[in-house]
Amino acid sequence: MSRILSRCVAAALLAATPLAATAADDEIMRRIDSLSREIEQLKAQLRANDEKVAKAVEEARAQPKRDDRSLDRWLTIGGDYRFRYDYLSGETAAFTDVSSTFNNAQQRLMGDFFANPTGLSAFFGAPQAGGMTTSQALSALSGFQQAMNGVRTYNDATAFLSQPQNAGLVQGLGMFAVPVDSYKPKNESLYTNRLRLDLHARATQDVSVTARLLAYKVFGAQDDDAVVNGGAAPFFADRVGVFDGTLAHVPSSSFLAVDRAYATWSNIAGRDMWFSVGRRPSTNGAPGNLRLNEPRPGNGGTPALLVDYAFDGMTLGYAPDIDGLPGAYGKICYGRGFESGLRHTPANSIQDTDMFGVSVVPIDTDKLRVWTQWNRGFHIFDAPVMQGTFFGNTAPKADLGNIDWFGAGAMGTIKKAGPGDLNWFADVGLSVTHPNDNVSAQFGFQGLLTGGFFAPEAPSSKRGNAIYVGARYDLPSRTKLGLEYNHGSKNWITFAPAADDMWTAKLGTRGNVYEAYVIQELDAKPISSFTSKAFFRLGFQHYDFDYTGSNNWVGAPVRISDVNGQLMTLTPLKNAYNVYGTFEVKF
Amino acid sequence: MKFPSPLALMVAAACAAGALLVTSARAEDATIVAPVTRIELAADGKSAKATLKDEKSGEVTVTITDDLTLDKFKDKRIQEGDEIRARFDKKDGRNSSKSFKKTAGC
Repeated sequence: MSRILSRCVAAALLAATPLAATAADDEIMRRIDSLSREIEQLKAQLRANDEKVAKAVEEARAQPKRDDRSLDRWLTIGGDYRFRYDYLSGETAAFTDVSSTFNNAQQRLMGDFFANPTGLSAFFGAPQAGGMTTSQALSALSGFQQAMNGVRTYNDATAFLSQPQNAGLVQGLGMFAVPVDSYKPKNESLYTNRLRLDLHARATQDVSVTARLLAYKVFGAQDDDAVVNGGAAPFFADRVGVFDGTLAHVPSSSFLAVDRAYATWSNIAGRDMWFSVGRRPSTNGAPGNLRLNEPRPGNGGTPALLVDYAFDGMTLGYAPDIDGLPGAYGKICYGRGFESGLRHTPANSIQDTDMFGVSVVPIDTDKLRVWTQWNRGFHIFDAPVMQGTFFGNTAPKADLGNIDWFGAGAMGTIKKAGPGDLNWFADVGLSVTHPNDNVSAQFGFQGLLTGGFFAPEAPSSKRGNAIYVGARYDLPSRTKLGLEYNHGSKNWITFAPAADDMWTAKLGTRGNVYEAYVIQELDAKPISSFTSKAFFRLGFQHYDFDYTGSNNWVGAPVRISDVNGQLMTLTPLKNAYNVYGTFEVKF
Repeated sequence: MKFPSPLALMVAAACAAGALLVTSARAEDATIVAPVTRIELAADGKSAKATLKDEKSGEVTVTITDDLTLDKFKDKRIQEGDEIRARFDKKDGRNSSKSFKKTAGC
């Protein structure tokens, strides 16, 4: 710069000299021109530098600051641990165990064959019983079981059973019947561990990912035998084994399962609209959060009375801002309950099982939350995919039809109702089946809430209803006292196998369930998060069953008082009790 | 007395409607979607001031007086760092909350 300045000064002095010679004038002018060009070039360089600096500053502003990327700004980690003790007892009704009967028939016919390979069957050798040899009898049973699997519809089933040899074999099965007298199952100490890890990551503006990893196991076991009546006919369809919808919601193993994992795009088009897809938060919904001592599920979740199932699916929701209806929102939900794989193949005639729902919550405040929901299950399967159950490895083998569910409920809090706050709720549900002509061959030709084992019934729509009411009183001492009651009618069916109940999902009960509990939170300062806490919970459940088949949509319910040795796949329970105690820490 | 023509009435009505629209625009609800960076509860617990930090408009402080939201502040259901959708009236230099809730989603 100093060199430029000195040249400028020199040029100015030269230009100011009045006695300059003409020859020198041209030289001076050339130099001035040259200097002017240099100055212009320098100015251009400076401008370019300024632009670069400005661009760099702009880019730096656009980049998130180091502080903005720190973990606590975008990642939330939480979870809880629960220890639970259960005392379980109940009383069954006398029935004939289907699986054991078939096994018994096979073993005794085989024994008969090996004892007398060429002689007449001790069971079917008489002329009126078919006059079969031992090998023919064994082959007939095997052929009967294979032919059973070929039955698809109600008409197929009636034709199959009216065929004389089959009718004879069904009658002959009576010789091998394994009657199970009424008994009183009891487990005086069932301990379980449950660990849940919650992650919430804000990935970009308006887009987040939420995940929950969950492990739930029995003390001293890495399987579900303790809750599925291991070794004997299970009591309920939702406690036959663990499957996709109940993974880590029924105690099974210490493996961490991905219970929830979904991405949510919020504020779509600048409105309070969201789209979310993944393994959904469709378990432990309201108002069940009260007894679980958990916060309300917000815009997520499903009414506990209708759905408690770990679904893979998606949701599109909208929460309009209406002054008179604070918290209002609506959403449509879709979930896949079973993926059947490639279709149009020689071996696969099973459809995917899907769920579609519409939920409208017109108001959602502490004082009052009201919800309504309709959902439909399409192509309901006869059994989910399960491994190593009492029935062996199970899989869907029949599409039994569709089911509609309708529900409406309300919950609220009355503050300062005496010394504490009173939380209350009331919920009603209606289920309506739409059976097709199919029956389940693996369950003796039973259909969607129709028929008995080897007693098919023409398909017809069945309606069931349920009510769920309760209250929890929160005292200033952090003591919470709760009472709940629910009732389900004869044909009531829900979709709640993942419910946090040991015997069976209580909200699917065809009968009455009474529950009382007390929660005592520790008066300890939260450290890991504002909402972290530790508490004890002690509760009691009494199930009083009116009909068989709670939480099972395969087969017609039978009044418990009418159960008297019928062929049944599941052990009918008359009543059941569950005393439980937990120590839970939420962090 | 000469009554105004229907056309004039329509023009007047349109002008009045326009004026109303302008008026309502002046008293318009403002909505902001942004993380809440500071929550200050009044000592008596009957009001609170929440500051939202918006990329576009910078910091906006909203005064909240409804019990529904105040309860959420008190039991930490709304905390600093939560993304909020706030609707408020701008009046006399004060932003009075009409709705203050976490952005919906799940």
